[in-house]
Amino acid sequence: MSGLLGHLWSRRQAATVPSMDGVLRPNDALDRARTLPAAPEPDNLVPLGPDLVFSSGADLFRLTAASPHEGPTHVRHLEAAVTALAASPGGALAAGLDGRGVRIIGGPHDGTLLDGFGGRAVRCPTAAAFLDEDVLYVCLGSTHNGAGDWQRDLMEMRATGSVWRIDLRSKAARCVADGLAFPNGVLIDGRKIAVSESWSHRILRLDPDAARARPEVVLDDLPGYPGRLAPAAGGGAWLAIFAPRSQLIEFVLRERAYCARMLREIPRQMWIAPTLRSGASFKEPMQGGAVKVHGIFKPWAPTRSYGLAVRLDAELAPVASFHSRADGRRHGIVSVCEWGGEIVCASRGDGVLCALPAPSSSPQGKAR
Amino acid sequence: MTALLDVRNVTKEYRGVSAVSDVSLTLEAGCVHAILGENGAGKSTLTKMMAGAVTPTRGEILLDGRPITFSSPGEALRNGIAMVFQETSLVPSLTVAQNLFLGDEKVFNRLRGLYIAAQQFLQSLNFPVDPAANVSTLGAAQRQMVEIARAVRKNARLIIFDEPTATLTPEEKHHFFELVGRLRARGVAIVFISHALEEALLISDRITVLRDGQHVVTDDTANFDRDKIIRSMVGRTLSDQLYNRDTQRPARAYGRKVLSVQNLSMGRMVRNTSFSVYAGQITGVFGLIGSGRTESAKVVAGVLKRNFFHGGIVRLLGKAVRYRTPRPAVRAGIAYVTEDRKVEGIFETMSIAESIHIGALAASRGRSWLISRREMRALAARWTKTLSIRSINANARVLELSGGNQQKVVIAKALVQDPRIVIFDEPTRGVDVGAIAEIHQIINDLADQGLAVVVISSYLPEVLNLSDRILVARQGRIVEEFAVGEATEEKVMYAAVH
Repeated sequence: MSGLLGHLWSRRQAATVPSMDGVLRPNDALDRARTLPAAPEPDNLVPLGPDLVFSSGADLFRLTAASPHEGPTHVRHLEAAVTALAASPGGALAAGLDGRGVRIIGGPHDGTLLDGFGGRAVRCPTAAAFLDEDVLYVCLGSTHNGAGDWQRDLMEMRATGSVWRIDLRSKAARCVADGLAFPNGVLIDGRKIAVSESWSHRILRLDPDAARARPEVVLDDLPGYPGRLAPAAGGGAWLAIFAPRSQLIEFVLRERAYCARMLREIPRQMWIAPTLRSGASFKEPMQGGAVKVHGIFKPWAPTRSYGLAVRLDAELAPVASFHSRADGRRHGIVSVCEWGGEIVCASRGDGVLCALPAPSSSPQGKAR
Repeated sequence: MTALLDVRNVTKEYRGVSAVSDVSLTLEAGCVHAILGENGAGKSTLTKMMAGAVTPTRGEILLDGRPITFSSPGEALRNGIAMVFQETSLVPSLTVAQNLFLGDEKVFNRLRGLYIAAQQFLQSLNFPVDPAANVSTLGAAQRQMVEIARAVRKNARLIIFDEPTATLTPEEKHHFFELVGRLRARGVAIVFISHALEEALLISDRITVLRDGQHVVTDDTANFDRDKIIRSMVGRTLSDQLYNRDTQRPARAYGRKVLSVQNLSMGRMVRNTSFSVYAGQITGVFGLIGSGRTESAKVVAGVLKRNFFHGGIVRLLGKAVRYRTPRPAVRAGIAYVTEDRKVEGIFETMSIAESIHIGALAASRGRSWLISRREMRALAARWTKTLSIRSINANARVLELSGGNQQKVVIAKALVQDPRIVIFDEPTRGVDVGAIAEIHQIINDLADQGLAVVVISSYLPEVLNLSDRILVARQGRIVEEFAVGEATEEKVMYAAVH
């Protein structure tokens, strides 16, 4: 009896997700944005001098400011899929490699491969940011799963991510925060760093100088899974939200036995899990939440994929948002940055780079 | 037309202060006579004298040419004068049918027969109310319908409607106006008090305007327009100030997300609704009666409880909260200004100071058993001045105030709680145009001070004029959101209906 009551009590709370309203009110800005020439599955946008560097699988590409309409030029092929990318003020790149570590390209530490932090293998680098030429912050999303296996990490409800401060001269690594639920974006915010924690739907601010950094939650209860952070001109930041939350997925996450069996027996594409692009197969779950009428997706249909880029102010509070809704073609926004006076978004779900006009005014702030 | 009721130079004084002073008025059979004026103009007092609820200090009232003095509303009713009060006078614990036939019961009553008769009568009036329903379960609009039906059933020769349409939806108003037309055709004289000037212009034959208890003008409706009425009422043109929207006005910037309601459910009234409220903004919520907007607000404020299982989540400043009574909600900084001030907002027989102090007591932590009269008076004086609450004297009971000033007392009672979020539910219902402007200013000031403000209203111009963002409720959930620049009456109403 007590077991039954306990079971009922534990099922008392509804699986809920916050609404996309107010600042996050849906629009079709991403679908109206112009496209830039890109490679398949673009990711990791990083301005490098006047150019824009991005990754596509294990390759790095460059778009030049002088001729942005020409196709991207191939820069380099790396030994594994690039899962994180950062540029230093001096022009060096740090590339996170899935299952391998972090490779430094250019600059005084060219060729360095960081494959272990504090005795921990660097299997899942998800984001990186340079403080200066010699100090690098790296997010490791998980100790169990690679960056490409992020859906499994979510459905297993892992919280094994960490944030590290790396001194490139001495190769010394210091753990800034541990036990995070897939840290997936990092931003230098004055003397502190901001980190997006995907599976907790929030952004934390950490003091890397503190002996044991106590995370300060600056933005939580987001309606999607936050990914990479990038500095914005005039202060603040850009946040890529790579997939939406939904009541169904939240419900499945609570049903542990079902979830475990789904991961074991069902092909990944058919999981009831967020994805960078849904709707490719009629076998997929949800099918637009039965709001697909005469073959047409309604924009408000529940969906497993979505496109969302959010402008944050200096306090990391949302001030504007750019969407591609259920019926849109710019899903899975994994990276956003400012380049050439425009906002460039990488839609990995639909394999395009799109450029939005920069907002006319930006909130003042100190984040960079 | 013949004079049915002749009011001659009547005056009503309370403690030496005139509420109505030397007013004369003639009401004719088969004529709809609108009485207009700001709150405190004396409309309700004048009509209460006609209906026997109040005895005039001076002057006389003639019915069919004969002087009469009613000792009670019951006596007035027996003489064919019925009044439908602004706040309903139904017995909540009885059914609709029992209320309809209250006072006319036979020695032996068959409940089923009562229900059948009530059903037929309500249907003849096009009022969709279940006669077997308990009045306490009815919404404000349906209570109003029962009140109107009761007056019509008494075969009154003169029916006085005090703010009859304030709680009705557009469709229900249409039915009401048809009913008024039918009564007029039967030769019933109708007195119509309303703050909706368009309604008075639409359905009345003659209009009388009162100001500060004195008669200003009486004329045929054809000789009035909206601005002329307002000039007569307040001596200035307020319509531009009140509802002339500036669509170019910039919306206030989004502040911190103060309230996040996620998948909230409560019975059949609130169904999986979600919305957010931000600091430093006015979030307008529009919806027809029954759309669940009031119930959602009441769940947030702890007045109602959401579903025990799968009732959703309410987050206040990021923290999940679940209030079972209003007091913890008040202490957490949620102030709810009710739509039904008589029942839920004030204690009528208390003084203004006591009423405001009750709000402070509800929010205070500790020592709430210790009441300092001096502190109470100082608190009341401050808020009376801040909100311009006008009364005969400082110790006046709330009952003696006009509707607008009563509403200000309710607002003061909420604001003394030092809230983080203020939810106004129909803030200007039953309030005159002068007080509407003042209440709107209070609401705007609160948002400018950085508070999160929610305004729930059935009056579309009010929502459009006040809000920085507009949420539309329909069938128990928020279905649409509009920015201030893109919202039009047509768009918002379409979202609310379809």
